[in-house]
Amino acid sequence: MQIGKRLRLKRIFGEDGRAVVVAADHGLMLGPIRGVVNLRETLTRVIQGGPDAILLTPGQASSLIDLFYGKDAPALLVRADWTNAFRDKTYTLPARVIRDVDTVRVEDALALGATGIVVYLFMGLGDEDEEARNIEMVSVFSRECEKQGMPLIVEPLPMGERVTKANYVDLVALSVKIAAELGADALKVPYTGDPYTFEKVVKTAGGIPVLALGGYSGVTVRDSLEVVEEVMQAGGSGIVYGRNIVQAQDPGEMVRLVRSIVHEGRSALEVVGAAKKGRISLRVEPALCVGCSLCAAVCSLYHDGSIDIGRARLRVLQEWPSGAKPVVCVQCGKCISVCPTGALKWGSKGNVELEEKLCTSCMACVETCPQKVIVFDEKRNIPLFCDLCGGVPQCSEWCGTAAIRIVEEDA
Amino acid sequence: MLKMKGGYTGRVLSFDLSLEKAKVGDLNEKEAFLLLGGKGLGALLLYRSLRGKEDPLSPENPLIVSTGPLTGTIAPTGTKFSVLTKSPQTGVFLDSNCGGMFGVQLKRAGYDMLIVKGAAEEPSMLIVDENGAELRPCRLWGVTTFETIAELKKEFPNRGILVIGPAGERLAPISGLLTDDARSAGRGGSGAVMGSKRLKAIVAGGRRPIEVYDAEGMKRAAWVVRRMLRLHEVTARSLPRHGTVNIIEAVNEMGALPTRNFQKGRFDGAGELSGEKWRSGLWRRDKGCYGCTIRCGKIAVLNGSWVDGPDYETIWAFGPNCGIKDTKTIAMANYLCDDYGLDTISTGVTISFLMELYEKGFIQDLDGLKPMWGDEDVFLKLVEKACKGEGCGRMIEQGVARVSGKFPGSEAFAMHVKGLEMPAYEPRAAKGMGLGYATSDRGACHLRGYTAGQELLGYGGGVDPYTIEGKARLVIDRQDEKAVIDSSGLCFFAFYAITLKELHRMIVACTGLPYKDWYELMRIGERIYNLTRLFNIREGLTRKDDTLPSRFLKEPMPEGPGKGQVVELEQMLSEYYRLRGWNEKGEPKKETLDSLGLNELLKTNE
Repeated sequence: MQIGKRLRLKRIFGEDGRAVVVAADHGLMLGPIRGVVNLRETLTRVIQGGPDAILLTPGQASSLIDLFYGKDAPALLVRADWTNAFRDKTYTLPARVIRDVDTVRVEDALALGATGIVVYLFMGLGDEDEEARNIEMVSVFSRECEKQGMPLIVEPLPMGERVTKANYVDLVALSVKIAAELGADALKVPYTGDPYTFEKVVKTAGGIPVLALGGYSGVTVRDSLEVVEEVMQAGGSGIVYGRNIVQAQDPGEMVRLVRSIVHEGRSALEVVGAAKKGRISLRVEPALCVGCSLCAAVCSLYHDGSIDIGRARLRVLQEWPSGAKPVVCVQCGKCISVCPTGALKWGSKGNVELEEKLCTSCMACVETCPQKVIVFDEKRNIPLFCDLCGGVPQCSEWCGTAAIRIVEEDA
Repeated sequence: MLKMKGGYTGRVLSFDLSLEKAKVGDLNEKEAFLLLGGKGLGALLLYRSLRGKEDPLSPENPLIVSTGPLTGTIAPTGTKFSVLTKSPQTGVFLDSNCGGMFGVQLKRAGYDMLIVKGAAEEPSMLIVDENGAELRPCRLWGVTTFETIAELKKEFPNRGILVIGPAGERLAPISGLLTDDARSAGRGGSGAVMGSKRLKAIVAGGRRPIEVYDAEGMKRAAWVVRRMLRLHEVTARSLPRHGTVNIIEAVNEMGALPTRNFQKGRFDGAGELSGEKWRSGLWRRDKGCYGCTIRCGKIAVLNGSWVDGPDYETIWAFGPNCGIKDTKTIAMANYLCDDYGLDTISTGVTISFLMELYEKGFIQDLDGLKPMWGDEDVFLKLVEKACKGEGCGRMIEQGVARVSGKFPGSEAFAMHVKGLEMPAYEPRAAKGMGLGYATSDRGACHLRGYTAGQELLGYGGGVDPYTIEGKARLVIDRQDEKAVIDSSGLCFFAFYAITLKELHRMIVACTGLPYKDWYELMRIGERIYNLTRLFNIREGLTRKDDTLPSRFLKEPMPEGPGKGQVVELEQMLSEYYRLRGWNEKGEPKKETLDSLGLNELLKTNE
């Protein structure tokens, strides 16, 4: 490996061999999407979070070069090709036939002060001539990069009509292998969705650093951070996030959160502070409930090992078509006060606890409950109570619309 | 020996309405392994229940409700069930995939599948629970669906309910079924089959838990799916916010939004019918089926009452297809069709056909009404007549193919394949869709072979919509994927974000069935497509039935991006047969069936 290459790679991956890269080259591929219209403003905030590198198009790189001044500034990566492949129907002029062409030469990138260049490698195109042209482009870059000491980051992607719902992961692995064989110095790879298959992909790369890419941004910050955590678990070397960061409410903060997972090895749950320590309660937003009952299914599976929505410690009122509403234990304590044997008491999370041997199955609590969320277990002959899942209520965790939320009570 | 350890209930309930007898049988594990459930297992049962050429409205034709192993579990979008029968509209295989709570409730009653045979003597309803099934007289015959559901809900508040409307009762070939949460198994006339059995409603529910083989594995696998749905633009934003109609402007832009009975592919009023227009207009709430956070379902308010908001296909069938751009008119027509139990696509396409008949001078009027493009009043009156079966409504409810039979010379623009009306994508502007319509096992269907995502919407990088090269492979892949998805209990829409890999992981964790990898799931899809092909061949279908209305084959697209295009169907079809391992006549070769284990499966009857 050329000395220049080694030096530049160290600029990106640093001491621990890991990297948080922010991609902001969307303008070339997608047009003026949210977050990249005023790129200077966005990137100024991104840089406050301390990314290891930022990926830009050549045009943006020259006009924003001052952002990369200084010793602590992020490394500059330059996108060296263009494709229309991502322009689906949500964009003006959706792509009809996929094309990918180079836009700069390696010496242009050098002149821009780039620390590395990034190019696509598509696998799954119907047109094999186009596939061959794509391979040729990557190999020309590879030879040139070798000469000039410029790191080549290849972005292998399953793309086109030969991609099926079955061959996706294998196409990722295939294109990763081909990219490695063509001489890539690092890879920017789509996350395969779970750590098990991604681990295989990382192994396929044979030691070349694998950065996972994000794609669309998640509904919540936590969705995106979970991906980062799993990528690191699977042996990835870091992440390339674009929309997940440039479209975040606070891009700098988002970079910091991602950094703490990539460089400090923290978990997503830890980083967003989802695990509550003290007393909690559940708060319901009926307007957000879509009536899917996933909360109830999950509740029964977590507590009983099988799925029975009628056995959940909550219920979903279906009032089609006017609406639906989750009904949960609100910790009113009426059950505790009517229990004739004192079998019920407050638990540490603010939940109601049953001392089984004191229970006479008198049903007073079941009948009293104003929410009607105490289920009677006929096999064990005891009432079942919401235990707030030991501080991480699963109904709230799984709810897709935040209709059930966790509220921290003052200790 | 295979052993299912979860997901399935393992039991199949059959009920003979003529004998009023229930029988509970075991699900065959080997068959479950080969065909998964839902559509696949239902297709096998249907194949075995019939010999071919029976009248679909005779008592012999079974009505099958079939769930998948993931229906009612924590698998996100695990809501689906399939209704299978021989279609009175097409005379061939019919499966209709439906969401809502009914499938979940059938499993809670303790059954993976329900087979209803025979016919009741008087209007009845079937009550299914853990103890089997009971037939009761139903005094709601003649009552519309929503009122029927409201009445039955009083008696059965926590059950799933599947009903037919007056259209199904009077055996209208384009009638469907409706669930208590207003999801419909609309297409192909399952309503008439249920009507012919004098069965007004099926009520199901119980307290049987669904076991899970590897609860921890299932939670992890389902969590990954949940997150992937939240990380994909379509499932995280487009569908939740704008429903299925989110694509209407894009499809229009591509010149593929069939307008005025497929005369052209662009509609001036498409912008009036966009997701944003509906969202800021009539829609009030989002509705998720069981286990679904995508929530493409929308609830609208119309004239002060809550109604189910129409989806893309319905909006198209009543809207651009009939030249109408008024959301209220479309929502009203949708409500009427649901209430009387008519399929919205078939109703819209039959009316647009009548409008073209009128335009071309085949008819002078319909009960004094002049069916002109875009005339909202006349359109609504026609819908109402079709719903109520009054006057010319008796003709509309027959569907396009039968109406066209009365007007020689109208075949070229009678928009159906095998008797099932065409849905909302212009095949000349997306030729894979054309091949998909021609080869779909139940007749023209947009979902069985959904290439529009790639041809028109650019998902996965996009494919040239006008070329025929590679389209056979593309259609086969999409058909096989869809068949296995429809057998799993999951919703097709989840697969914008996930792949068969995630499905595989959930199925294995939930059931313990030893599928090696997700390619095995693709083979299930292929097996199902060959099985339904055999069913249709037994009914007498041949290559000439795998066709399109001649408008698409001979009339060049008049305008738009696809100007001048026709569908070169025969070339694609030959390649399709070859890749499927079928002969030139479209019959599966022996070696194809052998390699899929189908010969063996069909030899051992029962």
